[in-house]
Amino acid sequence: MIEEIIIYSTISGGVYALLALGFTLIYGVSGVVNLAHGSFYMLGAYMFYVLGTFAPELPPILAVILAVVFVILAVVFVGVVSSILYRLTIHPVLGDEVGVMVVTVCLALIFQQLMLLAFGPPNVPVDPLIKGSVPILGVTVTYARILAFAVSLFLFASLWIFISKSKIGKAMRAVSQDREVAMLMGINTEKLYMLAMATSSMLAAVAGIFISGSTSGVAGAWIWMYPLALSFSIVVLGGLGSIKGSLIGGFIIGYAEQTVIIVAPEGGQIVSVVPFTVMVLVLLLRPKGLFGKRIEMED
Amino acid sequence: MHLLEVENLTKRFGGLTAVKNVSFHIDEGEMVGIIGPNGAGKTTLFNLISGFLEPDSGTVKFEGENITGLAPHKIVNKGIARTFQIVRPFRHLPVIANVMVALKSPRGARKIEWLKTMERKAADLLEDVGISELALEPAENVGHGTLKRLEMAKALATEPDLLMLDEPFGGLNPLETDFLTKSIMRMHLDEPSRGILIVEHKLYALMKIIQRVIVLHQGEKIAEGKPEEIAKNKTVIEVYMGKGM
Amino acid sequence: MVKSYIRRAYSSFTAHVFDIPPRLMAFLFLLVLLVIPVAGLNPYYLSMMIYANVLAIFAASWDLLVGRTGQISLGHALFFGIGGYSTALLFKFFGLPTWVTIPIALLIGSSVAVLIGFPCLRVKGPYLALVTMAFPIILHSIVKWTPLSYIFEGEYGIRRLPAFFAFLPIRQQRIAEYYLTLILFFAAAVIIYKVANSKTGIVFVSILDDELASKACGINVTKYKLMSLIISGLFGTLAGCLQAHLLKVSNPSMFLLTWSFTPIIVTFLGGIGTIYGPLVGAYIYYILDKYFLAIQLPRLCKYFGVTLPGEFEYAKLLIFTLIVLVLVIKWPRGIARFTTDKLEDLEEARDLDERGPRIWKRYERKKK
Repeated sequence: MIEEIIIYSTISGGVYALLALGFTLIYGVSGVVNLAHGSFYMLGAYMFYVLGTFAPELPPILAVILAVVFVILAVVFVGVVSSILYRLTIHPVLGDEVGVMVVTVCLALIFQQLMLLAFGPPNVPVDPLIKGSVPILGVTVTYARILAFAVSLFLFASLWIFISKSKIGKAMRAVSQDREVAMLMGINTEKLYMLAMATSSMLAAVAGIFISGSTSGVAGAWIWMYPLALSFSIVVLGGLGSIKGSLIGGFIIGYAEQTVIIVAPEGGQIVSVVPFTVMVLVLLLRPKGLFGKRIEMED
Repeated sequence: MHLLEVENLTKRFGGLTAVKNVSFHIDEGEMVGIIGPNGAGKTTLFNLISGFLEPDSGTVKFEGENITGLAPHKIVNKGIARTFQIVRPFRHLPVIANVMVALKSPRGARKIEWLKTMERKAADLLEDVGISELALEPAENVGHGTLKRLEMAKALATEPDLLMLDEPFGGLNPLETDFLTKSIMRMHLDEPSRGILIVEHKLYALMKIIQRVIVLHQGEKIAEGKPEEIAKNKTVIEVYMGKGM
Repeated sequence: MVKSYIRRAYSSFTAHVFDIPPRLMAFLFLLVLLVIPVAGLNPYYLSMMIYANVLAIFAASWDLLVGRTGQISLGHALFFGIGGYSTALLFKFFGLPTWVTIPIALLIGSSVAVLIGFPCLRVKGPYLALVTMAFPIILHSIVKWTPLSYIFEGEYGIRRLPAFFAFLPIRQQRIAEYYLTLILFFAAAVIIYKVANSKTGIVFVSILDDELASKACGINVTKYKLMSLIISGLFGTLAGCLQAHLLKVSNPSMFLLTWSFTPIIVTFLGGIGTIYGPLVGAYIYYILDKYFLAIQLPRLCKYFGVTLPGEFEYAKLLIFTLIVLVLVIKWPRGIARFTTDKLEDLEEARDLDERGPRIWKRYERKKK
């Protein structure tokens, strides 16, 4: 049992970190609490499914390559859609915290209904990228899960490097630290925000494809809620705006989640309590999270 | 016992030390000014004393009591009131209601004689600073000069034993500056035991009313003394004018 | 030439029709509300109005906390569900009558408000929004949890709750329920209004405007936030109790995120921080939902021979949310407010504008 917990949570922790990274990125850069973050997760999964319906029967290696192509297409689609939506809906209400949240909530609900309209309430199948499994430490682990883990860590690392080293990354960090100074320095915040939104949503989409594909195998119109809960509880735990925090928080929540699923009776039902309880506890005991910036005096 | 005693106060923000080992004291009835170039740490010092920031080390004692790190509203209720350099009015409330907020605090409320209503007291305070005609205007509609004086009225509402003013003359024209100077002098005469601590850039206005000056530069206290002495102090002049003048 | 004539007629029409002072408009609206059920209304619509009244109470409670004190709450469904389940559980396990269970439920709701005050009030902005979201979702999972279904009866919830006027025939029952909910809304609105316009209300607005400056005035901001939360929680719980007894069931859906969002939508439709906002907004919401979208739109489509896809149900919420989205972007302060601001001059707006309390009106009188 413990081996199960360890293996599964490590894997999911990695993907969760990616999911949370997206959430913390858009918040850190533009101050937007994107309640539609889970919707992009969902969109990614659905798009992948749609593309999958056009897939012809192919020998395994080609199938995997095609699957990868589909992933990229789905993710890019989500990214484009999200930045357009950002410009149309969020940008006008930037600065009004309540307004932003209302707008993103509306977007989330709209996406939910769109999915219902387009695909109906029944879940749609999301195929794992690779079939087959291998035993690790006595636990049967699917290749799909391993792939998910590997890709997540790779993406996470690449993004980390991108944000630390690249010019755009530095601009993002500048803006997240002090918006006004960054603007004075001539950084085009609007474009930067759109980019952050696109990146953030693409990360969510990737997570959506991998998690749906490797765990439940399905996507439904309501699957946006749990990833949203996960995202923000990880981010609260790790500290809003902290990349390191998303990584470590992702794993911690992953472990907590798996423990509950496996240990508690009917754990699957109660699992959504985990991220939220963690979040509440963190806010009670250490509001800034593990690595969050200290909020002392606001202006 | 000093009214206010600040000892070795230090505050760091990341790599930057905003306030470094600053110590000074204020006695009852003293009017003290704090000057220094921009970034010297004056506002940070205010924030540390009034509880909006917690120092990394050092203590703040008020009327003998250690108030270091106390919550800001508790410090206000102990008798220290402060204004903000950039005015912070309550935009959705009319001017008079702005003052009434301060009168709702425990300290503000206790000083109201039971025959006077809160509105009356608030109106009186507005009159003291000279803005009573604008009492019913929404705070978001009034001019800067009025807002600056409103800040003062809010601070006075709690009848503080120590009044801390952060750049009270900022953005005021000469007429308003003059009026405010007179108001502050009048405050001092009305309440002789009250200490007043002023951070200010407009030295000509400041030097006229204060008895003692503290000079800060890059977070450290570099000079302290009577206004005439400070005006002649070489280090101070250098710091303000830049070396090699 | 025709165009300019039309334009003139239109502007003269709007100038005169909309010239009605807001007080009169409010009074007329009130009159309509009071008279409608006895004027013989289709029970479907009456039902709709009953639920609108309950939603109005819910929205008003949310508005005090969010619109007035500035605490962003995305979890108001917590109180809704606690209201519903408290009264249901008290009925299920102790067989207590409604007039006993509801006050106890209110007590429970207020206690919960105090409890969640601890994590919630210490955090600001986005953190606050997120943590408020957490609680109802946690409870949602707990009441659905199979091992606890002997208490909460799982997914279907606790059913066969007593109705309010079970001794009356159906038609009269509805009318009685309507007046009950309407009166309760007015009671809630008056209480909330009185609080919002008291000196305490002034402090609430100061917290909304500038928490830091409020602290600098010596205000114990946490205490006032807690006050606001308790009152808000109280009325939110009331709304939940009413809903449960009207529907005769208390189920997990009461904790759903959608219920947390509905007061946001309602207050946006009706105007944030106003007293009439929640009621107007609730009615607009239900009329939009249960009338236009449920009845008129299909009728229209039938008339034009357009066939709707079978999944029209889903399109309803979609259209709805789209409308709200557009509204939020264009008029961040809510449309009713926008209309009233545009229609009157500042003086009149201040009369009915609840953001700035009426304390200064009293002062004005005193001055004279």
